[in-house]
Amino acid sequence: METRTTRAMPSLLTSSLRVFDLSLGEMLWSRRTVFLALIVGGPVVISIILRIVDLMNVPAMRVNGVKMAGPSIFGLLIWFLFLRFIVPILGIFYGTSLIADEVEDKTITYLFTRPIPRSAVLLGKYLAYLASTVLIVLPSVMFVYFLVVPIGGGGIAGTFPNLVRDLGLLAVGLAAYGALFAAVGAWVKRPVLLGLFFAFGFEPFALAVPGYLKRFTIAFYTQGLVPEAMPQESLISLLQSFFHETVSPLEGVLTLLVITGLSLALAARAVERREYVLEQ
Amino acid sequence: MTKRTRYFMFGSVTVLLVGLCTGLVAFYTGMPMGAFGRPDGPAELRYVPADATLVAFANVQDVMRSEFRQKLRAAITDDEHGQAEFQKQTGIDIEHDIDHVVAFVEPGSGDDNHNGMVIAAGRFEAGRLEALAREHEGLIEEYKGKRLVTVVGDRGHDEKPHGDTFTVAFLDPGLIALGQTGVVKRSIDRQGGQSVLDNHEMMNLVHDLDSANAWAVGRFDTLISQARLPEGVAGQIPAVRWFSASGHINGGLRGTIRAEARDEQAGQNLRDVVQGFMALAKMQASQKPELTALMNSIQLSGTGKTVSLNFEVPSQIIDAFSEAHRRAED
Repeated sequence: METRTTRAMPSLLTSSLRVFDLSLGEMLWSRRTVFLALIVGGPVVISIILRIVDLMNVPAMRVNGVKMAGPSIFGLLIWFLFLRFIVPILGIFYGTSLIADEVEDKTITYLFTRPIPRSAVLLGKYLAYLASTVLIVLPSVMFVYFLVVPIGGGGIAGTFPNLVRDLGLLAVGLAAYGALFAAVGAWVKRPVLLGLFFAFGFEPFALAVPGYLKRFTIAFYTQGLVPEAMPQESLISLLQSFFHETVSPLEGVLTLLVITGLSLALAARAVERREYVLEQ
Repeated sequence: MTKRTRYFMFGSVTVLLVGLCTGLVAFYTGMPMGAFGRPDGPAELRYVPADATLVAFANVQDVMRSEFRQKLRAAITDDEHGQAEFQKQTGIDIEHDIDHVVAFVEPGSGDDNHNGMVIAAGRFEAGRLEALAREHEGLIEEYKGKRLVTVVGDRGHDEKPHGDTFTVAFLDPGLIALGQTGVVKRSIDRQGGQSVLDNHEMMNLVHDLDSANAWAVGRFDTLISQARLPEGVAGQIPAVRWFSASGHINGGLRGTIRAEARDEQAGQNLRDVVQGFMALAKMQASQKPELTALMNSIQLSGTGKTVSLNFEVPSQIIDAFSEAHRRAED
């Protein structure tokens, strides 16, 4: 009598965690990490310079002749550098490459021939992206906070709740942008250009014009979580305040979570159904 | 997961946890800002009471060495009498012994409307000051580890003091306090306790005066209410809560006067009044060329409750004034 031993296919979660374990090291010690370190190290260097300038008794930043306090400078850095630049750019470059890199390196076959669901490859890699970016971006924000907030006598005690909120917001932002661009990467052939256009062309434009267009951006919902951190002097901010349309923090968080879930579902569906043709 | 990756994750999580724990401790204990940063203003502010109505600072060395002061000194020949008198009374040569001073006014009690004290940082010879005090029948005592030299003020016919007593206290090496004995002793008592550094409203104003080598910040409404002005006059004074004045003295004098009104309407009214005065002054100055540059440099700004006036007095104005003065004497 012939006996066949069959091993059950691991669950989606187990498979995803195995891919995560494999991908995290690859993602952290790749050439892309140099780019990530440079991008995230920028604000830390700026903060060190601002702090040195302040210690030399020279005002670090002035607005209309009035010295800016550390918490205001920190708010500016979070809004302009992290939320409007670093988070989208990390989402674009890491999110779009989750599957594209494996296709380009012609290693996707090895992953797809393993006895795991195809979508687990994407989910595992997405989790690795989230872990690596969160573990690099958030400590960077922590350094920036302790360097910048005390400038001009700013207090750590009073601004700590804002830091916790900002850290949470950055994590949610990284999750949403990463998931969106993972979906774009799974569906579209040249996802980076599309991602750059979306983050730095469409989003600023949509935020500045009245109407429903802004609801198709991620920045609109992240902005709803930190309306007070958004500088009021810029032209775009003035236009936005004129049209006066923001979402409540709860609506912002829920929408960002829905965007993340929906984007991941779309990306997983694409990976499950699409046939990747490797160029010879 | 490789060892390298594990170390990296451990490092990142440690940085996050240390930061969050530090922030949490700061949040719950109200950790002072000085723990992570340089507090605003000079260190001597720790001797200033939290309820001070006026705080002022001057970098004496900067001001004394400035080209502006040299020109002013040449133009006004009799400004050294007061300085000589002060040296005679206290043995302190302002020009050479003092680096910077911090002065404050605190609300008094009863008839005593205001009490003040000056804290001076520089080079002081305790022996010389004590000898001088003895010559003036002064008392030398120790108070909480600080040496106090007290000189009794006016004496009546019965030779009992009925005036204020003036004290010079050696707070730290190179740091003395001069003022009424009670105020000086209260300042010594204050060490390590509540001070103006805990007065956030005032410290916010001090924070904006960083580059000035002379400044003053005060509660305008409190000062006015204690000034016992006639009702008719007091009613005409604008509803200003805080004011600050700062000046950077070098080749010329660059100054800013800022006032914070009680509300936005009061702020707008004050801006209108100042605007009116500026127009009037500019009209008057058009006949005096030496004042034209000064008047043109005055700029009024501010939004909401804030009114700000910037001005610049170039050293040429002093030259023009001394020339005009000389011509008038001739």
